[in-house]
Amino acid sequence: MTTLITKTVTKICLPLVILFSISLLLAGHNNPGGGFIGGVMFASVIALTYVAFGLDYIKSFFNPDWGNWFGFGLLLAALTAFSAIAFSHNFFRSAVEFVHLPFFGEIELVSAGLFDIGVYFVVIGGLLSIFKNVGDDE
Amino acid sequence: MDSFTAITIAVFLPFVLAGILPAVAKLLKDKIGWYASATALLSLLMVAQVAPEIIHGETIQGTIEWLPSMGINLSFYADGLSIMFGFIVSGIGVIIMSYSNGYMSTKEDLPRYYQQLLFFMGSMLGMVFSANTIQLFIFWELTSITSFMLIGYWRNRPMSVYGATKSLLITASGGLFMLAGFLVLHAITGTFDIPTILHNESIREALQNHHLFIYALILIFIGAASKSAQGPFYIWLPNAMEAPTPVSAFLHSATMVKAGIYLIARIHPMFSGTEAWFILVSGVGIFTMLLAGFLAFRQTDIKGILAYSTISQLAYLMTMYGYTTHEEPGIGVAAATFHLLNHATFKACLFLVAGIVAHETATRDITKMGGLRKEMPITFIVATIGALSMAGIPPLNGFLSKEMFYEASVEMGHLLGGPYTILIPALAVLGGVFTFAYSIKLIDGIFLGKRPTKGLPEHIHDPSMVMLAPAIFLAGLIILFGLVPSIPVHNFIEPTVSGIILEEAHLHVKLWHGFTTSLMMTIATFILGILIYTQYDRIAEWQNRFNAMFPWISVNYYYDGAVNNAKDVTFKFSSRMQPGPVKNYVIAVLLLTLAMFAIPAMMLGTNLIPQNLNFDVPLYEALIFLFMIVAALGAALLPRYLPAIIALSGLGYLVALLFIYLQAPDLALTQVLVETLSTIIFLLALVKIPQKFKEHIPTTTLARDLIISVAVSVMIFILLINATQGIVAPFESLSYYFIEKSLALAGGHNIVNVIIVDFRGYDTLGEISVLCLAALGVYNLIHSRGEDE
Repeated sequence: MTTLITKTVTKICLPLVILFSISLLLAGHNNPGGGFIGGVMFASVIALTYVAFGLDYIKSFFNPDWGNWFGFGLLLAALTAFSAIAFSHNFFRSAVEFVHLPFFGEIELVSAGLFDIGVYFVVIGGLLSIFKNVGDDE
Repeated sequence: MDSFTAITIAVFLPFVLAGILPAVAKLLKDKIGWYASATALLSLLMVAQVAPEIIHGETIQGTIEWLPSMGINLSFYADGLSIMFGFIVSGIGVIIMSYSNGYMSTKEDLPRYYQQLLFFMGSMLGMVFSANTIQLFIFWELTSITSFMLIGYWRNRPMSVYGATKSLLITASGGLFMLAGFLVLHAITGTFDIPTILHNESIREALQNHHLFIYALILIFIGAASKSAQGPFYIWLPNAMEAPTPVSAFLHSATMVKAGIYLIARIHPMFSGTEAWFILVSGVGIFTMLLAGFLAFRQTDIKGILAYSTISQLAYLMTMYGYTTHEEPGIGVAAATFHLLNHATFKACLFLVAGIVAHETATRDITKMGGLRKEMPITFIVATIGALSMAGIPPLNGFLSKEMFYEASVEMGHLLGGPYTILIPALAVLGGVFTFAYSIKLIDGIFLGKRPTKGLPEHIHDPSMVMLAPAIFLAGLIILFGLVPSIPVHNFIEPTVSGIILEEAHLHVKLWHGFTTSLMMTIATFILGILIYTQYDRIAEWQNRFNAMFPWISVNYYYDGAVNNAKDVTFKFSSRMQPGPVKNYVIAVLLLTLAMFAIPAMMLGTNLIPQNLNFDVPLYEALIFLFMIVAALGAALLPRYLPAIIALSGLGYLVALLFIYLQAPDLALTQVLVETLSTIIFLLALVKIPQKFKEHIPTTTLARDLIISVAVSVMIFILLINATQGIVAPFESLSYYFIEKSLALAGGHNIVNVIIVDFRGYDTLGEISVLCLAALGVYNLIHSRGEDE
């Protein structure tokens, strides 16, 4: 699998896909996208990198514990859901706020977006931890 | 701060601070125990802040809305009973966690230990303040789980694992009975809210006359009895002594095992005053009191003696709460409540002493000890105070509540009349006699007599103040409560009793109250106790012989048999149900789906196929369908893996294309990505397996698979045409609701995303939890395989 063609294509794809996945995550509330799609996209490109360059080679300089990623994601999502209680609302009540930033113009901030970021991290962490564990198994 | 907030903080503070404990442990290192003690102290202060209101006779109630549309809320209720338990739990918590600083070696995994202790404390506080039966159940099971983890703290010792498993199986399944009982209670009263039932006389009356009353009572009682080690469920508590001694002192003598007693006291106003209550609660109580007191003789492990004594003392409490008649529902309530508090002090004190002795002598076998009074004078004095209080010697607090127990027994016997006038007081005295005997044994066996020549370390001495001070403090309380009973009685007992019998209670507890019947009974207890003590070793020997002759007269015999059988059966079952090949599971799932489809299909008959079908498909869609058929055939028929996989992914991408035509960009995007990821995973797997399908598939298997596939396809086809243009009643499409409300309610234009993260956010939270569990499961599957070999 580690042919020159895959390696080269992967090298070009990697940064683009990661940026695209982040844009999908952030755009998700109003346009196609969202945490789940963004997460799967991120996971796919990392998986592709693992396949193209070999797990062992990648691990020598890039070896995050994906378990932490999904742990963080689940915590973030759960805290977002619980935070409504701190403001004396029902569990999972969402909030919307519009803010003006100098350069970006009007930006919509939604608490559900935070939840979506949690989903994003869970999907990335979950898929890649499964992928890495299965791939590592000799 | 208002009282409700204080209670909420008292309950959740231990959870939050335990959550960050591992991080704090990196800073504090070996001193982390003091952080845990400080946490317990904060909870204690929160409880103390609420106490004055309760002592003045008020109750506190409050609710945080959780799922108001379902009627499920987080609600707390504080009356005398819950405050007394709150004090016991957080107060003993402070004592135990400080003591652990001396007891636990710094080589142990301290963060895990203290974290679990704090989790336990939070769960216990949550349980006693719960105003809602479902919430009470959740905290109840949490205490079972934390207890399981603490008993199994030394994971490598088989006996710890055995004890932990046993306690979890018994207490957690008892909890399920309790839950069933609560559901029956809900069916009768129509509410999960405890204060509503307590403060509404008509509901209570309706409950007692309801034909389901007895079932609710029995189910809830099973929960209480399993938690408090009563009746046949007592067997888990002796094995729970495998836990570190501070844990035994905290969970298995002073707090968790009293959860069952708490429950009995909590439901007392609802169920007492009936014959069933007396027979069940007092009956099981008296039986357990005598049995456990008697079996304590056989124990040689000092913690074993204490375990049986705890079972027996809890049975005292059960018995007293069970004393009831129609006219006077709460005969023993005051006595029980006072004894509950006293037992928490003297038993925790004795456990701390047991920990000290085991720590210094490196053994817990009482037959190897003796004559330690000279080497450990302070420990000796503290232990004597604790044991004499348990034996009921004046002027200690155990004497007072034992007297009240006798008094209540006499009254109960008198009210029942007939042979019971003598029988009930006599059984009570017999229980006291056993208690007296094993209490003396503890002192005599450890501290008096001659020091054995071998088996003990040469230099034994009193421990440091870290371990001694908590025990001395408890001994001080024992004397204080004994000499000045008005302090606990006014502050704890009276509010609690008022909360249980639901009327103002005024108690007069005095050290000297003249030559009453109960004093005579106490004197009789002492005389008989001394007589029995002279025969102590012979009785123990007889018990050992009896046990060796009739091993099947024991609850443990049946427990072990059942658990071992269950292991065998489940092993056989799962190895048959899960033979390995994924294909078998898929076939099972598909056949089951077909069976579910078959029933409505047969009922509908020829109406199954809608009449006027509209097959007006645009050309480009028809083309995509054509390609899809080709790709699917390719995936099924191509002889090598690589082309088959490419055909399969081609099929997936075509489906994505179709989604685009059907104006579902989110679905299309997801489909493309999932297809890409699964292709990558396929390719990864492909490197490791042969390039060609090696196995030869027999024709019969092929035919079977073909039939199943075709049947499923036909089923899906029929379902789809029915869903889109068929006879299924045209429900209003859900989409309209979401299209309308998405922007208004959630501020998002992308409906799919809004549904995922907002409208159905709860589902998503569940799904991502499942994903996390799946990832952890894969990790465990792969990493645990090596250990078995």
